[in-house]
Amino acid sequence: MNWEHDLAGEDQELKQALRHFKTSMDTWSDAAMSRPRMVAKTSVRHSWRRVASWAMGCLLAAGSLAVGVHAIYHGQQMAKLSAQKTAQQAAVEQVASGQETALPASAQAAETASVPETKAVKGNASAQDKDLLASVDRALSRTVPEAMEPLAQLMDDNEAQ
Amino acid sequence: MRRTKASTKMMAAGTAVSPMTAEAAEEIASEEFAQIVASHRPKIYRFLLASLRDVDLAETLTQECFLKAHRNWKEFRGESSAMTWLMRIAINLQKDYWRSRRIQFWRQTRTNTVDLAEASEWLPSGERNAEQQMLAREQVAQVWRAVKKLSERQRTVFLLRYVEERELNEIAEATGLSEGTVKAHLSRALGRVRTELKGTP
Repeated sequence: MNWEHDLAGEDQELKQALRHFKTSMDTWSDAAMSRPRMVAKTSVRHSWRRVASWAMGCLLAAGSLAVGVHAIYHGQQMAKLSAQKTAQQAAVEQVASGQETALPASAQAAETASVPETKAVKGNASAQDKDLLASVDRALSRTVPEAMEPLAQLMDDNEAQ
Repeated sequence: MRRTKASTKMMAAGTAVSPMTAEAAEEIASEEFAQIVASHRPKIYRFLLASLRDVDLAETLTQECFLKAHRNWKEFRGESSAMTWLMRIAINLQKDYWRSRRIQFWRQTRTNTVDLAEASEWLPSGERNAEQQMLAREQVAQVWRAVKKLSERQRTVFLLRYVEERELNEIAEATGLSEGTVKAHLSRALGRVRTELKGTP
């Protein structure tokens, strides 16, 4: 062996140990290189598993995406509906407040003074509206043609009684 | 070196030799590489097996070594011998492997590393008697124990010298160390083996 001159002054035990180590490695290496190899035939199964896992993964991803999109769309629709409702309510309230301006000042003062009584006041307001319309009708009905004047006078008398 | 020499020879010969086509050069190169693989594969495998003590891993890294060599075969200029060049690739591969093992210490990597007792079982079945066989096995086990205690660089240098029987300048070239450093590593490694053989810690 070409390294033995390195160990000229060394004891025989070291040289022998290194020689045994070298022959041991040679034997092991030769045996390992010439051993029969096992070829695994699992490639097809593995590919199926891989395809199945990919498909499942894609399905899960698509499902979660669809749920997310639906949730966002639903939320938008609900927001639109609530906005429409709010707008309608605001319009109704505006109309109601417009009618309230025609009410007497005392009724308005009472309304602003007691907020819990607002609903009752609104009910009264609609009754007063009817009375108002009736009085307007009456005022209009008074202006009748001259030929009908005696008859209108009779109706007024009847109402007065 | 191979094809450069061949083309130089052709130029020197002048018109006597017809110019080599690219296909022919490719064919010669692949034939040369096949010869290199056939002659050097057992040595590379043995070195990696001694370094890693893992039969399958040594085979994988041997294949990787020759794959890398094949990819870079065109760049190999023949400044060193093919064996030294291949050994350098193998050393780098096993270095990368140990580095990745250290980085991934938290990962439960499956290894087939054989223990020292099993590695010591390999002895040629000569005409030695049982006592001599036992003594040889014990000595091999002691060397393995010493090798296990060596640093990565010391182990590489020790295995290249005492298993692969490389010359000091070849070891220096393969490891990228100076000859003096190689000698120092060898001296320390031998000291460790000597201590192990004497049975002192």
